[in-house]
Amino acid sequence: MFRTYILKRVLYGILMYVIMVFVYSALFNNVADKTLRSQIEEQLSQAVRLQRNVTEEQLRTFIATRRQEKLNQYHLNEPLPSRIFWRAVRTLQFDYGNATTMKASNGDRLVTSIILEALPRTILLFTTEVILTTLLGVALGLYMAQRPNGFLDRFSSGVTMISNGLPSWWLGLIMIMAFSYGIPLFPSGGLHINPAPHGWPGVWDYLWHLSLPLITLVLLSLWGTAYLTRNIVLSNLQEDYVMAARARGVAERRVLFGHTLRTAMPAIMTLAVLGLFSSIAGNIIVEGVFGWPGIGNLYFVAVQQNDVPILTATLAIETLFNMVGFILLDIIYGLLDPRIKVGGRI
Amino acid sequence: MKAKTSDVLEGLRDFWREFSRVKSGLVGLAILIVFLVLAFIGPAIVPFPGAITHWRDITFWQDNSLGAPPEWVNALPWVRQKSAVTALLSPSATQDSQAEGGVTIRTFSFRYGYSYDVPPRDIVLRLFGTGQVPVVISLTRPDGLVAELYSGQLEVSEGNPQRISISNDATEAAIEFVRSHDEQLASSMSADLVKAPSLLFSRLDSSILDSPHALKGAYTLTIKAMLLNDAVVLPPTMVVSGKVSGLMGTDLSKRDVFTGIVVGIRWALIIGILTSIITVLVGVVLGVAAAYFGGALDWLLNRLYEFVYLLPVLPFLIVISAIFKPTIWTLIVIICLFFWTGPYKPVYSMALQIREETYVEASRALGGSRLWIIFHHIVPILLPYSFAVMALSIPAVIVYEASVSLLGLGDATIVTWGQLLHDALGQGAVINRLWWWVVPPGLMIALMGMSFAFLGTALDKILHPKLKTR
Repeated sequence: MFRTYILKRVLYGILMYVIMVFVYSALFNNVADKTLRSQIEEQLSQAVRLQRNVTEEQLRTFIATRRQEKLNQYHLNEPLPSRIFWRAVRTLQFDYGNATTMKASNGDRLVTSIILEALPRTILLFTTEVILTTLLGVALGLYMAQRPNGFLDRFSSGVTMISNGLPSWWLGLIMIMAFSYGIPLFPSGGLHINPAPHGWPGVWDYLWHLSLPLITLVLLSLWGTAYLTRNIVLSNLQEDYVMAARARGVAERRVLFGHTLRTAMPAIMTLAVLGLFSSIAGNIIVEGVFGWPGIGNLYFVAVQQNDVPILTATLAIETLFNMVGFILLDIIYGLLDPRIKVGGRI
Repeated sequence: MKAKTSDVLEGLRDFWREFSRVKSGLVGLAILIVFLVLAFIGPAIVPFPGAITHWRDITFWQDNSLGAPPEWVNALPWVRQKSAVTALLSPSATQDSQAEGGVTIRTFSFRYGYSYDVPPRDIVLRLFGTGQVPVVISLTRPDGLVAELYSGQLEVSEGNPQRISISNDATEAAIEFVRSHDEQLASSMSADLVKAPSLLFSRLDSSILDSPHALKGAYTLTIKAMLLNDAVVLPPTMVVSGKVSGLMGTDLSKRDVFTGIVVGIRWALIIGILTSIITVLVGVVLGVAAAYFGGALDWLLNRLYEFVYLLPVLPFLIVISAIFKPTIWTLIVIICLFFWTGPYKPVYSMALQIREETYVEASRALGGSRLWIIFHHIVPILLPYSFAVMALSIPAVIVYEASVSLLGLGDATIVTWGQLLHDALGQGAVINRLWWWVVPPGLMIALMGMSFAFLGTALDKILHPKLKTR
């Protein structure tokens, strides 16, 4: 039964992903076609330069046939729906093609290598942020739940509300002004000093550059998790089963972690799993502010340079990761809540 | 009908009784009211009332100081050197006298009390009137010395006042003034290096070049205008463009940040409130429709929900903005396309429950049509709760607009806080440490978001009994 549920869920997810890729393909169709055509022409003129000892006539037929070949290969001679369809298919096969203007640092123009270069940096910053936020947030939430109406508890609800409407990039600007220019503790941006040191000094330098953006992000998103944990745990601490457990002499620590935190788990898991999977998208503005060359930065440069292959690829990958997080979450819900397994309405 | 109105009033009174017990809700409401009042009367009380239409007009701001910190910086205990404050002066006295040949000479005098350590950046005089007017301008200092600043013929016409800047037009005259009292001192000065205000507002001794001592006291600036033929001379104005300016300083385009902040309130409110009203209405209608009608519509709407939910919002918003260069109204529509999902899911699941209630069944049995049931039994229960969802979604909407504007993709014809931050970031406010340009817009975004978040949670607590903490 559970297996059918998972299978159904995954198939649904794949269908959704396919539809979304089609939408992206349609959205960027115009520019993408132009890009592809100019890339073909570029390849042609390169091929022509390599031709030696040929007559004018031969050269002309060579160009014509090669162009036709290429246009057929990418379905560019076909009507609009067909072009959209085939581009979507290529995207679905993870064949993102060459970037229009952007390059990887080694000069590679393959979209995949450009993205793979930026992805680890984004993961290092934003995935670490989600992990730290979840751990610290749950700890803080538990601490507050044990001391309801204490100073920190009251303070936190206000801070949560404020952090809710505070742009993280703005806090980043303030942090840079305060801790890079005011009190020069951290670098104002970038991945490493130039030239990058090797070995352990290099690692330290990397961490040093990582710390200010990481602190900023965690400082802001910590409160949401903490507040959520605190609310659920606090309301559960009033329940009869907790009183019964305490009456039985169960240690307070066990009551907290074994009984009440467990009930808060689904909500925290939702935040953490969705956060983890969407973290690979980075954050366009935060990365810009801190000069952190991750996915978000890549995306924004691509927007400015109208580099559609990169845009399509980034959007598709982000959507795919969101989707995986979504499906995973549903499966976890199924595991945690037996009612869902048997096909009851979610 | 009468009974019904009193019911509504009674209901509102009950609601208020409960609401007034939630302290955070009251705080949120108070902040929001302040914002609303400022949105309406703000443009009239700001120091530069024409700013809404002239925000990007360089000449409108030309008398201001460039990148000046706020005035209250002077009051900080660790700021030793107090800087001159930006001020707009009008003549304190006007006097007509007859010169030889029956010509009238009109004398305007400005009294300026100077008690700072750092002289103003500039003093700008504006002469209004019509015709050719010979003018002599001089400054009487507290030490009794008089500096001739300007003499010449000015041509003024209606709507075209003459602008005289002491920094630009009187440097030579200021050096001449030093020379007339101390020749040796003046010989080491060059017009390219010295600033007229710094000579005029300092003690005349050998320190004037390197570390001038401020000469504090009452200064009088006089403008003598000769009324020839039928020339008309109206009272001039004098702007002291200080090194500190206004409540929140100025930016690198000489604009008053405080004015920008106040003008921006109106757009933040419009964007936030409009988007949330639309999204709540759409979300409620779709959620109820999906839950009540079920079947294909239910399936379709839930897939649509998933679709929008899975889109990466900010990247998508940025691409759309880059392609379509939206005005603020289209931007609001685009944001709405994303945000209706917020109220949709809770409304959907609540409507599913309500559908099965006995009173709905009774209504159906009595012959109530589907629309009747939806609008009389389901929507009235869901709507109040949706307002809570709405208030909670406003902060995110404001942040999204600010983000799009920050990237330079917003509507460039209006003044929003995001636009202020965009200019600040683009012109290096962070590196130059112009904190008064960066801090206020972000704080306002946070404050606005906070007020709605407070309101939203307060409404949530009242209208959604499950969430009552104890």
